[in-house]
Amino acid sequence: MKILVPLKRVSDPDNANKVKVTGGKLDASGLEWKPNPFDEYAVEAALRLTENGTNTKARVGEVVVVTFGPKEAETTLRAALATGADKAIRIDALDDALDGDVVARALKALVDKEKPDLVLLGKQAVDGDSNQVGQLLAEYLGWPQATFAASIKSNADKALIVSREVDGGALNLKLTLPAVVSVDLRIVAPKSVTSIHTPATHTYPDGVRFAALMAIMAAKKKPMTEVKLADLVTDAATKIKYTGFELPPSRKAGIKVKTVAELVEKLKNEAKAL
Amino acid sequence: MIEWSETHASIRDSIRKFCETEVKPKIHAIEHEGVPPYEVLRKLIATFGIADMARMRFAGQIEKEKARLARAAAEGSTPDAERERAPRKPSPEAGMEMAMRMIPVIELSRYSPGIVTALGVSMGLTANAIMARGTIAQKERWALSLMTLETIGAWAITEPGSGSDAFGAMKSVAKRDGDGYVLSGSKTFITNGPYADTIVFICKLDEGNEPKLRKVLSFVLDKGMPGLTQSKPLQKLGLHGSPTGELFLDDVRVGKDRLLGETEEQPARAATKETFTAERTAVAAMALGLVEECQRLSIDYAKTREQFGKKIGEFQLIQLKLAKMEVARMNIQNLVFRQIEMAGEGRSMSLAEASACKLYCAQAAMEVCNETVQLFGGNGYMAEYRVEQLFRDARVLQIYGGTDEIQISQIARSLLETG
Ligand SMILES: Cc1cc2nc3c(=O)[nH]c(=O)nc-3n(C[C@H](O)[C@H](O)[C@H](O)COP(=O)(O)OP(=O)(O)OC[C@H]3O[C@@H](n4cnc5c(N)ncnc54)[C@H](O)[C@@H]3O)c2cc1C
Repeated sequence: MKILVPLKRVSDPDNANKVKVTGGKLDASGLEWKPNPFDEYAVEAALRLTENGTNTKARVGEVVVVTFGPKEAETTLRAALATGADKAIRIDALDDALDGDVVARALKALVDKEKPDLVLLGKQAVDGDSNQVGQLLAEYLGWPQATFAASIKSNADKALIVSREVDGGALNLKLTLPAVVSVDLRIVAPKSVTSIHTPATHTYPDGVRFAALMAIMAAKKKPMTEVKLADLVTDAATKIKYTGFELPPSRKAGIKVKTVAELVEKLKNEAKAL
Repeated sequence: MIEWSETHASIRDSIRKFCETEVKPKIHAIEHEGVPPYEVLRKLIATFGIADMARMRFAGQIEKEKARLARAAAEGSTPDAERERAPRKPSPEAGMEMAMRMIPVIELSRYSPGIVTALGVSMGLTANAIMARGTIAQKERWALSLMTLETIGAWAITEPGSGSDAFGAMKSVAKRDGDGYVLSGSKTFITNGPYADTIVFICKLDEGNEPKLRKVLSFVLDKGMPGLTQSKPLQKLGLHGSPTGELFLDDVRVGKDRLLGETEEQPARAATKETFTAERTAVAAMALGLVEECQRLSIDYAKTREQFGKKIGEFQLIQLKLAKMEVARMNIQNLVFRQIEMAGEGRSMSLAEASACKLYCAQAAMEVCNETVQLFGGNGYMAEYRVEQLFRDARVLQIYGGTDEIQISQIARSLLETG
């Protein structure tokens, strides 16, 4: 099975307090970048579908990772190559020039070229939280889709049973490949991904795998190609226009109260919480 | 080398993530509840394929050594002469290997210089001592499993009566006994002593001669040998992530197969000096981890803590602390870079240079940790804030691997002899 996994680098969510807004624009300078966690889960799920879990060095399928961004974004791709992905594609573009729709249209063009059996994505990027690309892409491709996958069972690499958590239970969808699937965080639980390649008895460690040090070095030698956005989409106009950004108001300093009675009084009359 | 490469940074990020997800949750148990650090260290080794790398390196070294021995036999020279003759060639891989050894030390030191010490003494010091002077059979028997951390190692030279003057006042002795030896004596402050499976024991050969003139020999001991007692961990100021203990040898009988190199003519004093050099250079990486972490925590605190209606980072006296931390960080980082660069050139520091490097890094790290506690005020003194532990841990850098005073005298001696 050949799987395409789109990846996005996001500003480190732990550094949210470092985000600056200058002149109504987001200022990304000085921010540390991390792969979007849901995308890392998608890579992990893709690797599990294309290997025998008891011998992960021998690949039994192909995982292609793709990102949109400047040259520096290749770091994110190389990290995915180090954990086991087979090849990487960087679509040269600036974040400002993108929205979910352009990304989905460019991915459609890429899918037409690469011909994967499955596109596996994170359910959303934790920066903009738009949660659109997977759904738009499935529509543009005319492929079946399943979103927020908590588990994936591959039926001989021809069809997938995808399970999604819903109130009071699980919703199971059967998809015939090719298809688009977006994943939620449960997908990296020890038994969430199953295929004919890995014995049913095998248990994965919980979470996303680490790259061995030698694999990090070897990742430099794996194929990395660059594609221009214009080569994929003739109309690069975004549907979303950002008109301005502002930081949330900073929290006012608290006050100290002397007695419980005073606290109750203030909660009632000032905060109007009681 | 002026900055970390992208590959270095990827390794660092990966190790950092491991520290956050695997080490951080266990720090409390390791630092405060006496849980030994080996399980989390073994997980580190397995996760990053470090054992596989060690196996490959080991196989390569053994192959080279066999070739060297064959050459020596063919030409009638000694293996040592062959070793000297082999030119040390520049190799980028050796630089990368050094970086791959330093980066985990730096990252782990942010959380626990103790567990780094336990790791370094076992995989580094003890394994290297055997790899440097052991026979091929001894390397296969003990060094490989130390390099993969399947076994835990200890390297024992210090005694209750001999620390800085390690050789002069050493009381531990070996006496010849038939084909083998009988060993006796006691060692103290031995890292991993309480749990070690393999112990390199350094002592003097008692031939009835004057102690000063006695040969220094190293033996390899196994846990559980009759006559060998390993104490419980000693209570100490800091470095709780590294179990430290005493060893007692009461007429331990050993065969010649346990004498390192299987010859009494080994240059054990020189070998021990090589071990000191390696130990000293590792301190730079530990110091860098400590300083980077202290600086990060300090900057955060300076930007959030308010007094007199201002962030404390606005006070010039606090700014001075941050600026001095940056100077220390730059200097230590440059010393780490220098070591990586030298390894890539096929060179390593002389004992005097390693001493100067260790002296500076240990003092700078201690100064930075001390100032960090100060910057945190009362919170800096409380266990809840991690700077308290880092401060206690940093103190040992000025003591073990040779005290500051000993480094100073070695630097000065070298200057006066050659200057
Ligand atoms: C946590 C920890 C782990 C350790 N791990 C190991 C280990 O794994 N293996 C091992 O063998 N040892 C280990 N050691 C021992 C360590 O190497 C010694 O503690 C150190 O070398 C100092 O020796 P000492 O404690 O006997 O101090 P001493 O030598 O008694 O020194 C006392 C003081 O006198 C000063 N002094 C001594 N000689 C001179 C001189 N000539 N000129 C000026 N001042 C001098 C010293 O600098 C020091 O300030 C460890 C120690 C610690 C604390």
